[in-house]
Amino acid sequence: MSTGIKNLVRTLDSVDFLKMDRRTFMKAVGGLGATVMLSTYKADIVKGLEFAETRIIWLHGSECTGCSESVLNAGNPDIVQALQKLNVNLAFHETLCAQQGIWNDGKLVNNAELNSEILLEELYKEGKYILVVEGSIPNGPNGSGRYLVIGNKTFKETIGEAAKNAVAIVAVGACAAYGGITSADSEVAKDTDYRGVAFAKEDANGGILQELGIDKPVINIPGCPAHPDWVLLTVGAVILGKIKVPDDLPAVLDKYGRPMVFFPPDHTVHENCPRRGYYDRGEFDEQVGGEKCLWKLGCKAPYAHADCGIRKWNSGVSMCTQAGGPCIACVEPGFPDASRPLYVEREDVGLAGANIDLVAKVAVGAAAVAAGVHAVRRMKGE
Amino acid sequence: MVNVTVDPLTRIEGHQCISTEVDANGVITDAQSSSLIFRGFERILQNQDPRDAAFLTQRICGVCPLAHGLAATNALDDLYGVADQVPKDALVMRNIFQGLNMVASHATHIYILFGPDLANPAYKKVLTTLGDTGNAVWNEMVGRFAPISYKMDGQSVPVGSSYLAAIPEKKRLQEAIALIAGRMPGPSSLYPGGYTYPATVADITKISTYYLQVMDFVSKHTLKVDFDTWIENTYKASSPQKAVSFVAEHLKGLIDKSVTSNDFSKDAGWGDVEFYAAFGSELVGENILGLPASLKHDTIGGYKDPSKICFVSYGGYYKPKDGYDPRSPAGDRIFTSGVVSGKLEYLKFDPDKVTESTAHSFYQNSDNDLAPVKGETVPFTDPDKIVFAGGSDSQYSWDKAPRYDGIPGEVGPLARMLNIKEPLVTGLALAFAENGYSAANVYTRMLARMQETAILAYELLNWVTVDYDPSGKISVPIDLNAAKNNQGMGLWEAPRGALGHWISAGSNGKVTNYQCIVPGTWLMSPRDSNGIPGPLEQSLIGSKINTIGDVDYTNPVSIYHMGRSYDPCISCAVHTIDLTGKRAPNTLRIL
Repeated sequence: MSTGIKNLVRTLDSVDFLKMDRRTFMKAVGGLGATVMLSTYKADIVKGLEFAETRIIWLHGSECTGCSESVLNAGNPDIVQALQKLNVNLAFHETLCAQQGIWNDGKLVNNAELNSEILLEELYKEGKYILVVEGSIPNGPNGSGRYLVIGNKTFKETIGEAAKNAVAIVAVGACAAYGGITSADSEVAKDTDYRGVAFAKEDANGGILQELGIDKPVINIPGCPAHPDWVLLTVGAVILGKIKVPDDLPAVLDKYGRPMVFFPPDHTVHENCPRRGYYDRGEFDEQVGGEKCLWKLGCKAPYAHADCGIRKWNSGVSMCTQAGGPCIACVEPGFPDASRPLYVEREDVGLAGANIDLVAKVAVGAAAVAAGVHAVRRMKGE
Repeated sequence: MVNVTVDPLTRIEGHQCISTEVDANGVITDAQSSSLIFRGFERILQNQDPRDAAFLTQRICGVCPLAHGLAATNALDDLYGVADQVPKDALVMRNIFQGLNMVASHATHIYILFGPDLANPAYKKVLTTLGDTGNAVWNEMVGRFAPISYKMDGQSVPVGSSYLAAIPEKKRLQEAIALIAGRMPGPSSLYPGGYTYPATVADITKISTYYLQVMDFVSKHTLKVDFDTWIENTYKASSPQKAVSFVAEHLKGLIDKSVTSNDFSKDAGWGDVEFYAAFGSELVGENILGLPASLKHDTIGGYKDPSKICFVSYGGYYKPKDGYDPRSPAGDRIFTSGVVSGKLEYLKFDPDKVTESTAHSFYQNSDNDLAPVKGETVPFTDPDKIVFAGGSDSQYSWDKAPRYDGIPGEVGPLARMLNIKEPLVTGLALAFAENGYSAANVYTRMLARMQETAILAYELLNWVTVDYDPSGKISVPIDLNAAKNNQGMGLWEAPRGALGHWISAGSNGKVTNYQCIVPGTWLMSPRDSNGIPGPLEQSLIGSKINTIGDVDYTNPVSIYHMGRSYDPCISCAVHTIDLTGKRAPNTLRIL
């Protein structure tokens, strides 16, 4: 590690993770990735190893396993190192665990070492675990939850059971957070009635927990998929007590339940986009495969509150806009409906047929306003 | 008779239940495969911009999003009428992008999803009674393939060496994809008419470096024989017999060295492929190589009636030239389209012979075997009708039952390898068929996946270093008006098998119909309107729940192997994308 980074780490060591000034974090640490963040808390990690093991139960609802895939892509530390460093016992994860549900004549058999359903029952009973949810939860049809039944139980019921004794709940990915793609407008959406854990799209009262009458705080890590750093750093912060659940949550989460340090309310992907220079010069690509600003190809980066531009993806090698694809604002609670059509400029969509100036007024943040208006000016050659 | 049900079948993508009736000898006499989820993706593209399809259909599956993205992009190339003009370098980029993902997906399947079952305590029980050799083999199995958070008899078991080493490589492959696609999963680089990002010389250099690192893993863990020697004598062998002989000789050499030392370690030349190739099969391991015992994976997961199964490939990977034929006629792709019958006869693939039945699925119209384009499906909305334990005559799955010319089809690496007449896999299939085994079984299915991984590693290097020109053209413009009242067909191969997307647009150029038929639906399908079980169900019926040792209803290891050997993706299988506006609500498509 260079001296500069060492000094930075030393400085950061005295700052509480996720509570530090956002700009300090964004500018200084964001690009360094998870390794440095974890080594920053070395002392705490050692303590963690000396004391308690933390259990994680990772449940899959209506999902595509993309978020698990993403977490498996965690750069440095990778997932196995992270689990070891933080003394985490990933007690259950449907895609990774040794177990499966085993039934003889309708009864659970064998034991928790091989039978996932027995393992889960034991884990729920013991409590004191962090519950991670990937995927949304169908409330339909007719409130029954039977559009997803696993191990002879609706997933809705399972979430209720798992949530009760969880010390913290983390909803990973757009689907678990807000319903995501499964909640996209369609004619069967009212039948399937997909919900996030604590939200239904932007509605903070529409989550499946509210439906079940369970009042538990939930941390949302949206994205389609979620970035592995967002997941591991948040879970790490909870384990290390850097975020105390629930006391610290109002201070560190935004109104959509997202950690502000990764999803800053006043900062969008657009601000640190690698193509930003072209935007500032008013140079836009109108056909894919070029190197200029993607605004005219429908880029939603000015509306996406995330640190992709600094952090980048897959160990920092690239990001959507860098590879020439428009940002689809997958971290926003309205994704995907709010982002469609994906390849059309937002002002052309018009909110109720409005022009860019009106869109700007109702857009999600001050940065987006500036970005949108700015872009129009550039395009008009002002 | 005991009802033995595995629910959920974990370590797959999505949620699946396998219900079986098992007799006193441990033989499965009846089986149902049920997909447990209705995602309700349908109509999300209805009346929308067709171009959104390449993005949004990737959300059907996060394990192989690129295959959905590409099938959609092929359909869009066709819809906008530019398929014959897509520049060569864009097609090569798409090949690289898909090839890397297929290798990563196969590695994930072999090491993370399938591998851990080789460390099942049932094998310990049997192998440790077989003296030093049995103990040595068991120690290799648990030492290589044990998953994370694994316990046996109350003791934590360390993560297996191969499992642990595979995770960073999978990650590395995903990083290589991200370099040219922005991120992985969920990249944004697909667009009709080409590709959004021309890889630079620096990117190509980095991908080559990643490649060498991955191959270093392969030579340390997976395949101990020199990679080029392996390819030369298997994929490039002049006949199936020669390929099989080469592998048999290679394994024989290893056994001769290990027979006295009982050293079956990687250092002694036993890569994971060699290890499974020898010990996985009764025919190869015991009968041909003379090993004292094997896992007998060739005795499970086979088809008892060859007239009720076929092997379907739509064809994947473009030839390195400008333009392609979206209907994927034989010979247009590097992995050709085709159909191989259950008796191993080669037939031409005709997309019009695909139908789907909902007779045993949770949909209200259950009496037709319709072509996918004409399919109509309305999901049950009465919760009490969603019952998974009603038996073979009932409706018991969210999956529909696709059929090719009325016959269930296995898709995936084995089907692809048979269709391209890959010498090693074809040779093995013939050998099994000639010796009274099913040509397809858990063992050949796994070896086909391993061999396809090797072949892709070989082809990838050509795409990256020879075929791709960083200064070449990367896209042609599309005319959005060309979509009006037009249709598009996108046929492709996902890691798990044949994948098709179909799109229609109306007079305003917006989507009126979008349909997908995906590998998981073929593989996991329930019975059809003729009562013919799907591929997995046929595999199960007649197989034993434990290949070696006593019958143990409480640990039916063979069911895990059979279910997972197909690498099923249930989110794909029951993605229910359809998107039709014309005859709502009767045109819901459930796939």
